[in-house]
Formats: sequence, structure tokens, C-alpha cells
Amino acid sequence: MSKHKYMVLFRNGPVSGGEGRPSPEQMQQMFAAYKTWMETFKGQIVDVGDKLKPGGKVVTAAGVADGPFVEVKELIGGYMIVSADDYDGAVEVVRACPAVHAPGAILEIRELMGAKM
Amino acid sequence: MKEVRPPNLHQASGLVEHYFRHEYGGLAALLVRRVGLGRLEAVEDAVQAALLAATTAWLEDVPREPRAWLYRVAHNHLVGVLRQEGGHRRILEGVQAEEETQAPNEAFFEGEIEDELLRMLFVCCDDELPVESRLVLALKTLCGFSVEEIAFRLFTSEANVYKRLARARERLREAELDTDTPPLESLRFRLPSVHAVIYLLFNEGYLSIDPEQAIRVELCDEAIRLGELLATHPVGAGPTSFALLALMHLHAARLTARQDAAGGLLLLEEQARRLDPDHFQRGASWLAKAADGDELTRYHLEAGIAAEHCFAPSFAETRWGAIAELYAMLERIAPSPLHTLNRAIALAEAEGPVAGLASLQGAVPPAWLEGHYLWDAVLSDLHRRAGHPEVAAQHREAALLAAPSQAVRRLLERRLSQEV
Repeated sequence: MSKHKYMVLFRNGPVSGGEGRPSPEQMQQMFAAYKTWMETFKGQIVDVGDKLKPGGKVVTAAGVADGPFVEVKELIGGYMIVSADDYDGAVEVVRACPAVHAPGAILEIRELMGAKM
Repeated sequence: MKEVRPPNLHQASGLVEHYFRHEYGGLAALLVRRVGLGRLEAVEDAVQAALLAATTAWLEDVPREPRAWLYRVAHNHLVGVLRQEGGHRRILEGVQAEEETQAPNEAFFEGEIEDELLRMLFVCCDDELPVESRLVLALKTLCGFSVEEIAFRLFTSEANVYKRLARARERLREAELDTDTPPLESLRFRLPSVHAVIYLLFNEGYLSIDPEQAIRVELCDEAIRLGELLATHPVGAGPTSFALLALMHLHAARLTARQDAAGGLLLLEEQARRLDPDHFQRGASWLAKAADGDELTRYHLEAGIAAEHCFAPSFAETRWGAIAELYAMLERIAPSPLHTLNRAIALAEAEGPVAGLASLQGAVPPAWLEGHYLWDAVLSDLHRRAGHPEVAAQHREAALLAAPSQAVRRLLERRLSQEV
């Protein structure tokens, strides 16, 4: 297991919705591509993560509001955690991830502080 | 950098090929049965959402009962959407009652899914819809085809497919006011349209758009499965269904022979005379059943042509004269420029390229076929063999430009550059 852990945040770029969504056939291919990717990097994928549902709450000292209230193009749509020796290693894993090729997808990599190991 | 293996899609996924597409039709049909035809769009969205959810949720492990999993997720999605919309109290009562019962297991769907698929197939073939819309609707809803795949198969644009889909769904919403889900028996008069849809589905597999897999046997198998479902059901059992099934089996019998090791489509001359004995036998036996009675349909004639090819011991010994005659009858029953082209090809083999060209004299490809590669490919081939190299080269260029996939382009390049 590599030394450092990285959180990968999936941000949704502008995506055209409606009928342009992937067909069942394309979804199955996507799924297969993910499986292959996981198999290839299985030592480095700590948590394959999840997708986030739309909507949410924003909590501050002032109270609770419906959120998230950032711009749509910055919305975080999912996350995962990978391990690597350095950023280059993490980038290698993430660049091979099929999610990179989703329309408008932006994947952000942030190293965990390691306060809790 | 580590070497990353190219994904071996179907082995890595742990799912059989076309699993998602196959499930799409069955799930949509089941859910439509529960919430009504008017909600078809919401149902399709829900099925789509469930499949998409599966692509991440199943990464670590595919559930033991994947179909039940998909049904549950799609069903919950649908309930959520209907609840948000409100004003559909009756619909909601129906689905909620079910929501409270136990989550269904695979056994829950046994048999039901087949009946519902068949019922959906007939529902799609609404006589109030233009025939193109029926095809589009069935291919989209039942077979889970993408708009792109449908557009190629029907020789039309994607925009046109969207338009036809919208019109079809609107019609179904209106129709729902009359009757919720019509009983299968009352839909018997829609059989011709049902046959056409199954045949198109078969053709999608027979000459596929997918450049990586020129022939997707699974799609042909699916069309045959629907055809068998129909032919063995009281609502569909009859000579036309039998002939259609015979036709598909006889084509399928030559499927493996049509592909070389690299998956490229083989020219007819190069095809090994190797038949799949199971398909061949079943095709011949359905053809015999189809001859019962005095119906003569395009499927009978096309099955006859396929049988001629199956029975021919070699390319040279094929009874091209008989095939040309069958095509001539086909042109009368079901006029189509494709039949005209095929007759010309058979005539060229039986009597020479000049006879083939003569049969095309005056024939004008309709607008929807113009630009499609077949017309130019045949003209190029016949002109080359008749000794008109310049005209042949012009048509060759046009055919290559219009070739819809790499496999077809490679075949055309080979075929149209052969020495005389």
C-alpha cells in the first residue's frame, strides 16, 4: 500500500441532459471499463466512493439552509479515495479512470493530511 | 508509467453481453404495466436511472439477483417522480400498494416479463401511429436501442428519430384515455407491424453499425427469441410468423460463415459453405410450417431466397436464376429499391453484368436511399465487371464515402477494386 491517500472529487461540468444520455449499451461498456480500471489499479483504490444525490443542506453558525449554493458547474457529484506515493502516482490512477471521459467531467485530486491513519 | 491493458469489456464486466439493453426492454414493459402507458416517458427515465445507478453500485459486486435490484431501484425512482408531480393519485395508489409488499425476487418476474414484452410489442404497433414511429418506439422502448442506432437502421436522421419518438409517446398518452393496457387478443390486427419490427431488429444484428463487431449474433438471437415467442403464442401463431422465423433462422445459419477471423464481413464468394446445423434445421422446419395455407408474404419469398443460399453447394452452383425470380416477385409484393438492387445482383450472376445493369435502367433511388452506400456499391461493381472502369470508379468513391462503418468500408474496398 502506497504511503499517501488522496481524495478525488468529481465535479460536474456542463452536461447536456435529456435524450443525449448514454444508451444501455454504452452504460454497460462504461461499467465494464470501470471494472477493468479497478482491476488494473486494485492496490491503489482505497474507497471506490459513491455518487452524491442532488440537493443538500448547508450548516453555518447562523443556521441551516438548503444547499449546496455554489454555482452549478462547481457541484460535487461524487468522490473516491486512492493511494499513491505522490501526486504523479495519483494522477496516473485518476487519468485512467473512465469517469474522466464523461462529458464535462472535472476530477480534482487533493491529498489527505493523514491526521487519521 | 504502468502499462494499462486495453479493457476487455465483456469479460471484465461479469455481465453477459447486451445485458443492460436486454433488461431495459423487460423492465420498461413491467413498469408500464403498473403505471399505465401514459407514463411511458417517466418509466423509461426510471429504467435509465436504475441502469446508470448499477454502473457504479455494482462495481464491487454484482448483486445476486440483478434484475430484482434494477426493478427495485427503477420502481422507487418512478414512485419518487410520480409523487413529486402529484395529481396522479390513482397511479400512486397502485404503486404504493406494491411498495409496501416485499421487494420482489427473480421468481416474481418468471413468465410475466415475456408476456409483458409481447404486450408492449403490440402496444408499440398502434395503427394510429405512422409505421416509422412504431418501429422507432419499439426499437427504443423494447430493445433499448440508442437513437443513433435506430437512425442508421431506418435510413433517417437522429433528429427525425427524436421527432417520431415524441409523436409516438404523445399518441400513447392520448390512447390511454380510452383503455389502460389493451388485452393482447384485441391487438391481433397489429401483427403485420409486429412482424416488421422483429425483422428490423434482426437486421440490426445481421449487419450491425458497431464497427468493432460487424455481426452481433446476440441481436439476431433476440429477434429470433421474440419471433419464437410470437409464433408459439395463440395471438401470433400463423404462416406469416412462421415464415419470418424461418427467414431469420436461415439467415442466422450462415452468420458464422459471414465473418472472417478478424470480424470483417466476407464477400459472398469467399464465404465458407458452413452452416449452423441447428439454425438451418429449425429454419427449414419453420419454412415447411409456413407453407401451410395460401398466404404468400415477403417473408415467405425472403425465406425462399435465404434457403436457396443455404442449399447451394457453392457460389458458382447457386441457382441465381431462381433467386432473381424470387426478387422479382418480392418487388411486386413489397416494392423497395433494395429488392431492385438485389435482383440486379442475382441477374448479373445468372446472365452477366450487362443484364444486371439493364434491370437497373431507369430505376431511380428514392431520396431516402440516395447517398446510401449500397446503390453506388452495386453500380460500381456491375460497371467494373461490364468493362466501364471510369463509371465504376466514380460510384466506388461515392460508396466508400457513404460507408457507415469501418467493416463495411473494408469490404467495399476489397470488393470494388477486384480485377476483372
